[in-house]
Amino acid sequence: MRVLSWLYLALAYAFVFLPIAVLVAFSFQDGRLPVPPFKGFSLQWYDKVLGDSALMTALWHSALVAFVSSALALVMGFLAAHALARVRLPGSVLMRGVLIAPMTVSYLIIALGLLTTFNQAGVSLSLWTAGIGHVVINLPLCFAICYAAMGDQQKNAERAARDLGASEARVLWLISAPMLAPALGAAFFLSVTFSWDEFIITFLLTRFDVTLPVEIWSMLRSGLSPATNAVGSLVFLVSITAVLLMEILLFLRPR
Amino acid sequence: MTLQRAERRLGWGLAAPALLWTLAFFVLPFLAMVVLSFAHMEGRQVVQGLDPGNYIRAFTDWSQLNALINSVEITLTVTVISVVLAWPLAAIIAWRVPPRFQRLALLLAVLPFWTSYVVRSYSWLLVLGKNGVINQALMGLGVIAEPLALASTRSATVIGFVHFFVMLLTLTIYANLIQLSPNYARAAQDLGAGRWATFRHVILPLTLPGVVTGAFLTFVLCIGDYITPQILGGNNELTLPQLIMLQMGRSGNFPMASALSVVLMAVVTLAYAGCSRWLRLDRI
Amino acid sequence: MTHRALTALGLLALATPAFAQDELNALVWCDHTDPALIAPFEAKYGVKVNLKEYEGTAAGLAILDQSQPGDWDVLVIDAVDVPRAVAAGKLAEIPADQLPTADFFPELVMAANNVVDGKTYAVTEKFGYNTISYDKTKVDPADMEDMAALTSGKYDGKTGIYDYYLPLLGLVALGQGINTADITAENLGQLQDPLMALRKASTLVADVVSSQTALATGEVDIIVGGGEWLTAVLAAENPNLDWTIPKQGGLRWAQSIGVVAGTAKPDLALAFVQYIVSPEGQAALAQSSCYWGMPANTKAGDILSPEAKAVLRWDQQPEFLARAQLYPIPDAATDTAMQDLWTAMLNK
Repeated sequence: MRVLSWLYLALAYAFVFLPIAVLVAFSFQDGRLPVPPFKGFSLQWYDKVLGDSALMTALWHSALVAFVSSALALVMGFLAAHALARVRLPGSVLMRGVLIAPMTVSYLIIALGLLTTFNQAGVSLSLWTAGIGHVVINLPLCFAICYAAMGDQQKNAERAARDLGASEARVLWLISAPMLAPALGAAFFLSVTFSWDEFIITFLLTRFDVTLPVEIWSMLRSGLSPATNAVGSLVFLVSITAVLLMEILLFLRPR
Repeated sequence: MTLQRAERRLGWGLAAPALLWTLAFFVLPFLAMVVLSFAHMEGRQVVQGLDPGNYIRAFTDWSQLNALINSVEITLTVTVISVVLAWPLAAIIAWRVPPRFQRLALLLAVLPFWTSYVVRSYSWLLVLGKNGVINQALMGLGVIAEPLALASTRSATVIGFVHFFVMLLTLTIYANLIQLSPNYARAAQDLGAGRWATFRHVILPLTLPGVVTGAFLTFVLCIGDYITPQILGGNNELTLPQLIMLQMGRSGNFPMASALSVVLMAVVTLAYAGCSRWLRLDRI
Repeated sequence: MTHRALTALGLLALATPAFAQDELNALVWCDHTDPALIAPFEAKYGVKVNLKEYEGTAAGLAILDQSQPGDWDVLVIDAVDVPRAVAAGKLAEIPADQLPTADFFPELVMAANNVVDGKTYAVTEKFGYNTISYDKTKVDPADMEDMAALTSGKYDGKTGIYDYYLPLLGLVALGQGINTADITAENLGQLQDPLMALRKASTLVADVVSSQTALATGEVDIIVGGGEWLTAVLAAENPNLDWTIPKQGGLRWAQSIGVVAGTAKPDLALAFVQYIVSPEGQAALAQSSCYWGMPANTKAGDILSPEAKAVLRWDQQPEFLARAQLYPIPDAATDTAMQDLWTAMLNK
């Protein structure tokens, strides 16, 4: 039984890492096609990718959209969670439902709806229209995480501060936000991740200013090439570095 | 009384940005899409109206209906396989791996999660192709003489999906498992239950929330995905998102694309209704 | 806090493009996205060319429908669809006397398509053939001279179909002895069974790049609808790839370029069109990274290398041009019927 467990674990890891290993291995291919046979080791594709200005612009766009849309979603989600957790409002169940709803809808539908609306309103597509879509998908996530993290402890501390005469803004800024810092951090981090990797909304709602996943998609469509492997490997490297840093900063800290 | 009113006003004020954003950029666009789905095309012109023709076509025209059937079949297959594969993985990490290595084990198991999602599907193409790694390896070992047709099939799409969702489900099931007190199992065994009975009647039901939450997320993300079937399926069959993109991207038929999206939404809503009892979406 | 707000503002400012540089917005096919083609024009005029790809004329026109006037300056479109775009009011007239059509292959001036009511709206820029591409080491080249071989069972599971309904339905029609110009909503039904038979024999239906990949990696040995646009780009990688026009005939594809009606930069747009049909532009376009194709302007032959001309089969063009037919030009209803037939085929 024990042996079987470890065998299963090993097989599972093999399955999970197989495509990544192949991706990285053939990014060093010394030839035009990223499939066996392996023709030799070369860094030419990394060289090509790092010198590709379209890719670098897309990278910058990705980071911009991810951080700005996540920050916006976090602020709005946090405020709404604070309001709905603390104040008994009529119809608060419905409001919670509305705020969570985008989470249960396919991104494709959100994108198509926004595209229809922007078309009818005569709004030209740009990075900003894609950003609006990203806030839509990240808002429920931020709201849900903040809402779930608000406990009685917070409420008591907030009430105490308010009784002592603190304004609501000060309560939010000095009491609620710091007490919820881990949840806020997690929500922001998750939002950035989702936004960073999002394809279909950006694909449908941008015109020329595309993000990295869309740029990679058009690379893919313009031919099988080890350059795509190189981009994928670089993105992976950056992402896992970020994950490990987060891990160290957020979770390995003495509590 | 006035204090309560002031509180309420404040509450509304704080919730307003999020609510307005969701109304303006989610609810309203969705309604616009529903309205558009009842329009039809005359030549290249969209003619607004109350025409159920697109919906009738979605369910009677075989080429359209087939996409819905394919999508549901693929999604159910993926969900079942992913749950069956992820459960033991989560259990092994939760029970067999020493506690101080568990986070590391989990982190490793979901590490490929952080590759770009377009690239992940593309990598599977390289693995599964006729000249891909699997076929070359099997032929090199003499297991097979002719390369297996793995890429450009439904199997390829399913493998690509399962790869992603096993990681997701492992997370949700693991989170559920470590919250279980070992006392449950001990109590059941004290009362004379065998290992299998303990598992079947105690452990499994207790992990149901984690399983259902993960399975629902799998369902929603899988049935709405365009990239994976587009890259790995080789256009050998269409899924609903692919058909929606075709109607929009190639025919420019936005009303039909809208109607198909509403159908997609309805399927997801049905799935939600089916598992809402166990869902803990606000606890992800 | 203020520090963070300032950082955010800084990010916003950076993201807003500076309008100092003039920009040209072009709605194109993937071969126009090659920097080797675009960069010389950008350098010469000191402008930035923004490119967006689209798939199929209906989708391209839909994008223009949904845009604001001035959003687009240049359009690349199937030559046979130019009259459709003109009827929809999407193209602006361009001065015929400023185009080098005198240097073109005569068949490629295509006045019947590019000129409407005596006014020129577009100019042919590139052409080639949709026939049968194959790996000559894996199939019998003699078989490829007859379309019937494709559904004979011999190549089941080794065939792929190029995913574009117009040329493929045209090829299937040729196989049935119907000229592409004679396809109507009425006789479309006759194409259904042969199309499905072809589908049954094939393992994949793929777009431009997937077709190239599938052929190059041995995923399939034959691509129906292929041609030089498919094999030329791979010639260096895999010299065994070849293509032929079977005895039933083949299709000639041609793409045109024109200026979008309502552009705010008509002069720059025209300059771009002129650059594309100039010998330099034509040579670059012919060997573009997405797919290769014959230049419409014969003067490009002075610039192309002998190797490139061999790959393009420059010298055999008179014979090919004589044997190939143009794409079908369906009216709106037939077009919809053709697309539906195609979707049904995809979703067999």
